Amino acid sequence: MNAPAFNENLHLLNGNHAVAWGVRLAKPDVAPLYPITPQTPILEKLIDFQSKNEFDAELLTPESEHSAMAAAIAASATGARVFTATSSQGLLLMHELLHYASGARTPMVLFNVNRTPGAPWGFWPDQIDSLSQRDTGWIQFYSENPQESLDTVIQAFRISEAANLPVMINHDAFYVSHSIEPVNLPSAEVVDGFLPRIPREFQLGDDSGRSLGAPLDQAGWNLTRQDMDVAMQGVERLTAAAGGDWAKLTGRPAAPLELYRCEDAEVVFVTMGSMCGNAREAVDRLRENGIAAGLLKVRLFRPLPAEALREALAGVPCAIVLDRNYSPGTGGVLHQELKAVLFGIETPPRLHGMLAGVGGVNVPVETIEKLAAEYRNAAPSAQPIWVE
Amino acid sequence: MNEQISPLWTHLTTEGRMTGTWRSALPNYQNQPSPCLGACPVNGRIAEWIKQVKDGDLQGAWVTLVDNNPFPAIAGRICHHPCETACNRQDLDETVGICSLERFVGDAALAEGWQFPSASIERDQSVAVIGGGPAGLSAAYQLRRHGFAVSLYETRDELGGLMRFGIPSYRLEPAVLDGEVDRIVALGIDLHLGAEVTDNAALTALRGSHDAVFLATGASLPKRLPALDYSRPWVIDSAEFLAAPADEQSDQAGAHILVIGGGSAAMDVARSARRHGREVTVLTLEPEGQLPAQQVEVEEAIEEGVKFVCGAMLQSAETDGTGVKLQCVHVDFETGKNPGEFSVTPLEGSGFELLVDTIIPAVGQDADIDRWSGMFDQQGSVIGTGTDWQTSAPGLFAGGDVASMSRFVTQAVGMGKEAAQAIAASLAPDIALPGADDPAQVPYERINTTYQDKHNRTRQRSRDVKERLAGFDQVQQPLSADKAHSEASRCFSCGTCIYCDNCYYYCPDMAITRLDGGYSVNADYCKGCGLCVAECPTGSIHMQEEKAP
Repeated sequence: MNAPAFNENLHLLNGNHAVAWGVRLAKPDVAPLYPITPQTPILEKLIDFQSKNEFDAELLTPESEHSAMAAAIAASATGARVFTATSSQGLLLMHELLHYASGARTPMVLFNVNRTPGAPWGFWPDQIDSLSQRDTGWIQFYSENPQESLDTVIQAFRISEAANLPVMINHDAFYVSHSIEPVNLPSAEVVDGFLPRIPREFQLGDDSGRSLGAPLDQAGWNLTRQDMDVAMQGVERLTAAAGGDWAKLTGRPAAPLELYRCEDAEVVFVTMGSMCGNAREAVDRLRENGIAAGLLKVRLFRPLPAEALREALAGVPCAIVLDRNYSPGTGGVLHQELKAVLFGIETPPRLHGMLAGVGGVNVPVETIEKLAAEYRNAAPSAQPIWVE
Repeated sequence: MNEQISPLWTHLTTEGRMTGTWRSALPNYQNQPSPCLGACPVNGRIAEWIKQVKDGDLQGAWVTLVDNNPFPAIAGRICHHPCETACNRQDLDETVGICSLERFVGDAALAEGWQFPSASIERDQSVAVIGGGPAGLSAAYQLRRHGFAVSLYETRDELGGLMRFGIPSYRLEPAVLDGEVDRIVALGIDLHLGAEVTDNAALTALRGSHDAVFLATGASLPKRLPALDYSRPWVIDSAEFLAAPADEQSDQAGAHILVIGGGSAAMDVARSARRHGREVTVLTLEPEGQLPAQQVEVEEAIEEGVKFVCGAMLQSAETDGTGVKLQCVHVDFETGKNPGEFSVTPLEGSGFELLVDTIIPAVGQDADIDRWSGMFDQQGSVIGTGTDWQTSAPGLFAGGDVASMSRFVTQAVGMGKEAAQAIAASLAPDIALPGADDPAQVPYERINTTYQDKHNRTRQRSRDVKERLAGFDQVQQPLSADKAHSEASRCFSCGTCIYCDNCYYYCPDMAITRLDGGYSVNADYCKGCGLCVAECPTGSIHMQEEKAP
C-alpha cells in the first residue's frame, strides 16, 4: 500500500494503541478488562487515557475474563455501549459467555489479539483462538494493520448496535499488536457523527418490566436462533454500508472482502490478518514475473460473505488458502470454510489448503511466491499441506 | 434492524423456581461480640460506638458508651484498655486506639454539656450505696437510671474515691472527674458526704431503711512490707502521698526517693515526685517488661527520668546519718494463678545496696473487712460474693476493691454496673438481668481484610518532657476531630453490621432484602453459597447448617 500522506492527524502507533484510540473515540460507557499478553497494552493505554480525563468509561477490572464477559453482557443489557479486550486463553475462558452474549443479543465490541493457546505455552500469532469460537454467534473481523484495527473498532460499534450482535475483532499478536505504523486518527466529531447512540427496543431497568433470557420452551428457543439468523444475514450489508460511510469520511475503504489485483488472475491467495501484507507483496512480484496472481483478503469472517466469495472465486483457475491456524483432524479453518462455500458452483477453482505460519512462524514473501509456482497447476490434495 | 426480538424480552419470571431447596446451609445475621467487647470490664459496645464516631454521630456514640460506663472521659484517660490488647486489628497492622477515641467522645460530652436523661419511671424502692468511688458511683448511676431512689454514703467530703485521691492530675484532670461525677449526681442522688458507715451497726441500720445495700468501700489499707519499719519518718504511705495536695507532697519527700512497687500507684508516686524535682528510683519484684502498671505509664516514667531496679526485693532499710541505706537482693519472680498472687525466690549472691532519703512503698492495698466481722462470708482478703455480687447477707451486695482482687478503675465500674443490674432485677420483676454475651467472639480470620488498607494507628501526642516535669498538666494530648475520625475508621467493626450492602450486592440469587436497620435472607432462593459471608467485612454473617427435619 502507498504510504499515507502526512497530516497533523498522523500518529505512529502500534496496533494495540491504535485499538485503544479507536475505543477512546467510540466512547463506550463500560469497559470490563482483564490483562493478558499480548492484549495488555490496549488496557494500559485506556487506563492512561482515563487517568488524563480523556476517556471516562467505567473501567471494571474483575478477577477473570469470564467475569469480564459477564459484566460486559450485563452492562450491555442495560443499554450501555461496551468494550472489552482479551487474547487466547482469556478468550477461551470466556467461551461459555460468548454464546450467552450473542444469545442475549447484547451488542458490544471485543478486541482479541490472536495468540497461540497452550500447550505448549507461547505468545505467538495464530488465529485458532478466535477461529475456534466461530460457532458462538459473534461477528468476526480480522485486521491486517494498526490503521485497519482502529477503523474497524469504530465501525464495529455501529454494526454491533445495529445488528444487536456482539463483534469480535482480531489482529495478530506482535505482527500487528506491537508493530508501529503511521495511523490516521479521525477527529472526535467525525466519530461522534458516525456513531450515534441508538436507543434499544428494550433494556434492563427500563419501564417495560421485562426480563431478559428467561427460560423458553423449545419453540421459543428455536425462534431466537431464527431471529439471530436474520440478524446475521444482515451483517454483511451493514458492514458494507459502514465501510462505505467510513470511506466517505476518511478516504479509507473497508469492505467485507478486499480483492487485490484479482482481475484475470490465474491464481488467487485467500487469507486473513497480517498475512495479507506479505501476500500482497508476493502478488506484485508474481505479476512482475508474468504470473497473474491476486489476493482475496477476508476481513469479515463471520458471518462468512458466501455469495461474495463465490463471485470472487468463480472462474479463477486456482486459489491457495493461507491459514495461520490449524484445526486438528481437518486442517486450516479458512480452507474448510471456502470448500463449503464453493461446493456446487459451476466453475470452482482448484483449492489448495496451506498451513502457513501456524504458531507464528514467519512466512516470507518468497515462500508465498514459491507456493504459486508450485501449486497453481497442481491438483489439490485432500490433506492440508504444511508450509515449511 | 427492526426484527422482533421479543422471545428474549419476556414478562416471564423464574420466581416460581424455589432454588433455595438446593441449600444445605443458610446465612444468619448475628451480631457476635467483638474481642474488645469480650475484654472490656464494663462490656462496652465498642464496635457500635466507634461506628457512630466514624459516622460523625458523637452524641450517639456517647449515649452508647454511657449505657455501660458513665465515665468515658475518665476511662479514656486511665483505663488499662484490655480492649486494645484484644483488638483484631493488631493482626493486620496495629490495634485501634480505643481509649483515645473514648476520651474524644467523653470530652465532647463534657464540652457540650450533654446530660443523662432522667429515669423514665420513678420506683418506690430505695438502695443505699456505700462508697463514692468508681464502683459505688457506677452502681448509683445504673440504679437511678432504673428509677430507684439512691442514697450514696461517702466518708470523704468529695466523691470520686481513688479517681480523686489516687490518680494525679497529669493523668486525670480534676475538672474532668468533677464533670463526669456531677452529671451522675444531677440524676437525683441523695448524697451523704463525710458519712462514716464503718461498722456492722451502721450497715444494719442502712439495710433496714433501704430495700438493698451496695457496699463499695474500696481497699483502704496499705499492704505492709515485712522488711520495712513504717513508723520511721522516712517511710511515707503512698495513698496518703497521692491524696495530699502538691505542696504537701513536696514537703514530705526527701531529695532521693525510693518507690517500691510496679503497679499504677507506684508509677503515680514516682512521676509525681519527679514533678517535685526529686530523684526517683523504683524497685519492683517483677522483672522488666512484666510490671503490673500499664506499659505507657512505665514508658512515660522512664521519659521523665524515673530509674528502675526491676526483679529485686528490699531486705532491710536503716539510716546511716547521710540517708537511708537499703539492702536489696535480686529475685526470681513467678506469678500465681489469681490476680495479686505471686512467689519470689531470692538469688544467692545477688545482694546490693541503695542509698536514698525517703521510701514510699506502693505495693497494693487491702480491703478493710475486719470492720464487718461476722457480717459476710470472706473470700481470701475480700468479701465473698456470687457472680451477681450478692454477699452471704440477704439484700447486701458488694463490689469493687472490697469484694475483688481485680483492681483497675474500670473493673470497679463494671462491678458496680453488674451489681446494680442484679439489685434491680431482685427488686423489680419487670427488670430482667441482661443475658450473657455469646462467649464466641469474632476472630480475625472472619474479617474480610480486602476491605481494609493498612494504616498505622494515630497516637495521642504527649506533652514535651520538660513541660511535663514543670507541673501537673495532662500528659496525653487529645486527638483532633480529624484524627479521631481517621482512627475510628480503622475499626473493623468486628461482628457489628455496618450496612455496607456487600451481602446485598454480592448475592448471586438476589436473595438478600434490605430492611430498616438490617437485612433478611429469602430462604426460597438462597442457595447457601456463602458469598455474603465471605464478602462481609465485619464477620457479622454466619452460615448455619440446616439439618433434615
